[in-house]
Amino acid sequence: MSRFPQNIIILWRAEFFSPKDFLRRALVISVAFLIAHLAGLREYTSFLNGTMASVELGWKMCAFLGLGYLALYFAFVLVVPILILAASLLAIRQKFFIKKI
Amino acid sequence: MKSLFKRIFVGSIALIIATVIWLPCLQFVFRYKPNQFHADTGLSLKSKRLAARHLELWTEPKLLEQELGKMRASNAEWDFMGRSFLVWSLANMALREPESKATYLQTMDRIIDETLRIEQQEGIYFFLMPYAKSRPFKAQPARSHFLDGEIALMLAMRREVEEKAEYKRLLTDRINLLVERMQSSPVLAAESYPDECWMFDHAVALAAIKIADHLDGNDHSTFFREWIRIAKQKLVHPETGLLISSYTRDGTQMDGPEGSSIWMVAHCLQLIDEDFARDQYQRARKELGRTTLGFSYAREWPISWNGPADIDSGLIIPVLEISAGSSGMALIGASAFADEQFLSSLAGTLDFAAFPSSNNNRLKYCASNQVGDAALLYASVLRPLWQKVKGETKL
Repeated sequence: MSRFPQNIIILWRAEFFSPKDFLRRALVISVAFLIAHLAGLREYTSFLNGTMASVELGWKMCAFLGLGYLALYFAFVLVVPILILAASLLAIRQKFFIKKI
Repeated sequence: MKSLFKRIFVGSIALIIATVIWLPCLQFVFRYKPNQFHADTGLSLKSKRLAARHLELWTEPKLLEQELGKMRASNAEWDFMGRSFLVWSLANMALREPESKATYLQTMDRIIDETLRIEQQEGIYFFLMPYAKSRPFKAQPARSHFLDGEIALMLAMRREVEEKAEYKRLLTDRINLLVERMQSSPVLAAESYPDECWMFDHAVALAAIKIADHLDGNDHSTFFREWIRIAKQKLVHPETGLLISSYTRDGTQMDGPEGSSIWMVAHCLQLIDEDFARDQYQRARKELGRTTLGFSYAREWPISWNGPADIDSGLIIPVLEISAGSSGMALIGASAFADEQFLSSLAGTLDFAAFPSSNNNRLKYCASNQVGDAALLYASVLRPLWQKVKGETKL
């Protein structure tokens, strides 16, 4: 039997608030944003100016999809770099500070 | 347990440091030079791509119908204003790129003819919001200064690029109507909606009259001086010194100074009274323009006026009070007054938060719509036509 799924789980496992945990969260946000982007949800951000991206879907659904895209976009642009930077800072600390102690 | 708390503590410190590093750096990802948005000569890449999208819309009836359908579901005015801003943009583009003038003129004529046809067939209410029918216009027969002013400016700018005999009479008639209806009010105000006069529409109308004077050798300078005198005396918000955005036919204030209006007003007044226009721009910049973490945007209302989010402002983002409508129109003001730093920062915000989408060298902003994109295109190409009318060096 293949050990591939188990290996993935082990690879994915990370201690809370560890560098790996931050990178894992950054990856989840990035993948979610990529999916939303490829699904064309960017179009629905037109709710910001009061225009429905699709008259058929109606105002509420358009606003819901647009808001979802907005949240993922800002998470990708603001949160992901912060998580990566924080992970790097923690990794640097572990490598150059903890070992010396 | 102790190690978990320590990890959370150290991790939180790392997150705070990362936030302090990243947030001020974000602006550099979206920063570019002002001439990448508004070129001094020719067209910027952004203008070319925005224009390509609009020219495609006007050659693909299905696409156009789709876009207009989406906008008309919210606001019929946008259908009309999208046409106006595009024609005004194409006029400036024709002066910037004489080799493409024929193509631009063809599209301008198509839009103008189609708009005049609809106006004649469907009447003024087709391009107005439904509340236009809620009560009668005070001045009869019912006409909208909003439609007359923008159509006059379309005709005038088209003729300024190249004379077209059949538009001469149409423009003269429209100008006579504008002046006559304004003169019938004690504050030179004409209605866009029943007993509702808009500063935006008056500024556009004044610009059209000025260009018509330039074309046909007329002189409305006394009329302009009188309008400016009355505006300074009766149509200014005392706390900010900014022109108010709407008022009744007798000059009673309705809405205070409004971002989605004042930037364009200041730009149009450049043709009438350059000093007053610049003063209005600088006041608007101070009262409405904001920059946070290197990203510029504009408020819809000044702090001293408590106004709501409406169809013109678009969504207002709380706390920072960012108005999509005012921020987009601020690009027109910044371009018109060559406020390079503000322009560059606003353009950065546009790329950061208006969701540009490029396809086959055609650019649109997803958070915008056809009228918004046409206004952005106008912001990226304006100046040559005003310079021509003012007798300054042509580009």
